[in-house]
Amino acid sequence: MLDSIKILNLLLPFLYGTAFSVYLFDFFHEKKSTNNSKRVILFVTLFFHAFYLVARMIEYNHPPITNKFEIFSIIACSIAFSYFILELLTDIRGTGAFIIFFSFLFQLVSSLFVADTYIVPDVLRNNLLGLHVVSALLGYSGITISAVYGLLFMILYKNIKTNKFGLVFNRLPSLEILEKLSFYSMVIGFVLLTVAIVIGIIWLPAAFPNYSYADPKLVGTFIVWAAYGVGIAMKLIGNLYGKKVIIFSLIGFLFGIMSLIVTNSLAKTFHSFY
Amino acid sequence: MNLIGISINHKTSPLELREAVHLTRDEIVEFIPSLKKYLSDGVVISTCNRTEIFGFLQLHGFDAVPLIDSLISFKPNLGIKTEHFSKYFSCGAVKHIFSVASGIDSLIIGDSQILGQVKESFEISEDLDFSGSVLRRIFETAAKVGKRAIKETTIGEGAVTVSYAAVQVVEKIFSSLDKKSALVIGAGETGELAAVHLRDKGVGKITIANRTIERAAKLSEKVNGEIISFQFLNEQLHNFDIVISATSSSNFIVSLKDVQTAMKKRRGSPIVIMDIAVPRDIDPEVKKIDNVFYHDMDSLKIIVDQNLQKRKDQLPYVENIIMEEMISFFGWYNSLDVVPTIKTMRSFFEEIRQDELEKIKHKLNEEDFSKVEDMTRRMIGRLLHNPTIKLREYAETGSNIKEVTNNTVILKELFNLIDNKSSVEEKKI
Repeated sequence: MLDSIKILNLLLPFLYGTAFSVYLFDFFHEKKSTNNSKRVILFVTLFFHAFYLVARMIEYNHPPITNKFEIFSIIACSIAFSYFILELLTDIRGTGAFIIFFSFLFQLVSSLFVADTYIVPDVLRNNLLGLHVVSALLGYSGITISAVYGLLFMILYKNIKTNKFGLVFNRLPSLEILEKLSFYSMVIGFVLLTVAIVIGIIWLPAAFPNYSYADPKLVGTFIVWAAYGVGIAMKLIGNLYGKKVIIFSLIGFLFGIMSLIVTNSLAKTFHSFY
Repeated sequence: MNLIGISINHKTSPLELREAVHLTRDEIVEFIPSLKKYLSDGVVISTCNRTEIFGFLQLHGFDAVPLIDSLISFKPNLGIKTEHFSKYFSCGAVKHIFSVASGIDSLIIGDSQILGQVKESFEISEDLDFSGSVLRRIFETAAKVGKRAIKETTIGEGAVTVSYAAVQVVEKIFSSLDKKSALVIGAGETGELAAVHLRDKGVGKITIANRTIERAAKLSEKVNGEIISFQFLNEQLHNFDIVISATSSSNFIVSLKDVQTAMKKRRGSPIVIMDIAVPRDIDPEVKKIDNVFYHDMDSLKIIVDQNLQKRKDQLPYVENIIMEEMISFFGWYNSLDVVPTIKTMRSFFEEIRQDELEKIKHKLNEEDFSKVEDMTRRMIGRLLHNPTIKLREYAETGSNIKEVTNNTVILKELFNLIDNKSSVEEKKI
């Protein structure tokens, strides 16, 4: 089992690198052969990644969430998985390179620095915590993808406004589709964050007797969650269109990242395990 | 091959002369009988940019002047001279037909309409019993060339007219056009083209505004649209996701303030404004408003020029297809010699058999003679089976033409075969 983990640890950055390269090649050249094969490559990558995560869980006897580099691997997987589902649902295949690049980056860092962790605090062996972390990470993947599509929207928007009809104009889907992809990712991210928060609230009193709802990380996450909720509601009732939705998504993402950095690095919180 | 062709087109003559000799379908039907004096079979192609006649001459020689004269006498025009026509012969004529069908000889490279027009022209000839098997094969191959060019290259892709480029930009902004409403201001030629493109792209609702209400009504009927009063169009502007303006007005029809007001009413929902009029109809300052996508002739021309260049880059690939189909066609054409050779060879062997049987007929009883007759028939059949099959294979596939010709010549020389004239009359010498 350990050998399989070691091999997959080396193989995964290579697989994500290949998937990213094929998606990028297809973005520039739009060949029929790569258009079909890139999805297969991504599926195979995800399959091996899922196997790798399960193998780690069995071998080390805890969910793979006990250190930053295990978390990085889950982020890589959840971003790629979220994109894969989005691509299957919408059949829009031209934007994968911009998303899978993040999976490649996270997995590369994870593979380089991840260690064998047999001994971990008891609190991290809890399966409810595993579910909480996975749903939170998938939620953050959703808002990351939403931000990437938002960025692509802004680039295409600017290109059209300034009469630049080059590669970006020819290869990217329409602004309306990019807006929808960004919005759907945002909704998926929001729902998964909601799940993570609910699980956290259930599990918190049992795990930490000294917990506090005023904890900076909880407050920060709740503000991000509430902001996205308001944005989604505004879009649904018809007060946000086009560029405004995208700006909202990008600001929400930046705020979310800032909140994570501040609460993880600067503020004192019980919600820190590493 | 005594195929001949003449062509007056955008490369050889100005528009007024091309218009002067343009033939409608009815005129082609009327014109073809006069060509039968010179051609055994032929085709007349006439579009807005070219009028061409192709066919096999009744007599030997390559004199194209009678064809030109007959066209000029049918559509008299003082300005037209022989110099305005290109002339094509034999394989040059075949290559030209293939080039026309592929769209690379069109005024707008990659024009997709020409393939249908070429097919239709041949159908007229077929209806009038003015087409032989070789001509049919040429036009079938031409249709194949046209289809391959579309399928295997990008010669027909991308907008190459300003009005279509406008629609292409619209498609980069909106995805589901069936839920969008469009306003076309101006019902002239450009406005009409834009409205038709919008209809073809499935835009949900098309509305026409024009100073002359009758013209607006006529265009709206054509695109299944509606009309609004030209005077009040600014008050209705907020109701449209797409606005295309193509009038001959010398002043702005839509001002910055009009669009600002419309955007307020739309609560910022995106709007695409295409000003394809010269001089412009819409204040270009509107492009500064968020979610307003304004484009004029200059910006749309960038797309047109890019796409034309892309099509030009595809020319070598289409020319390769033409060359491949030329090789295939002439392979088939040259292999037409094989069929009469097979017939002659089998007749030659049959004559020898009959001759020898005649010699022994009186020396054998009826039963023995019948056995010998059967035996010799089987023997000849077995002897000729392989050469017949091989030659037929060459004829059917139309490949290895050099080998076919060599084998045919050797066969004829070895057995001193003389072609049966009636077998080759289908082939145009």
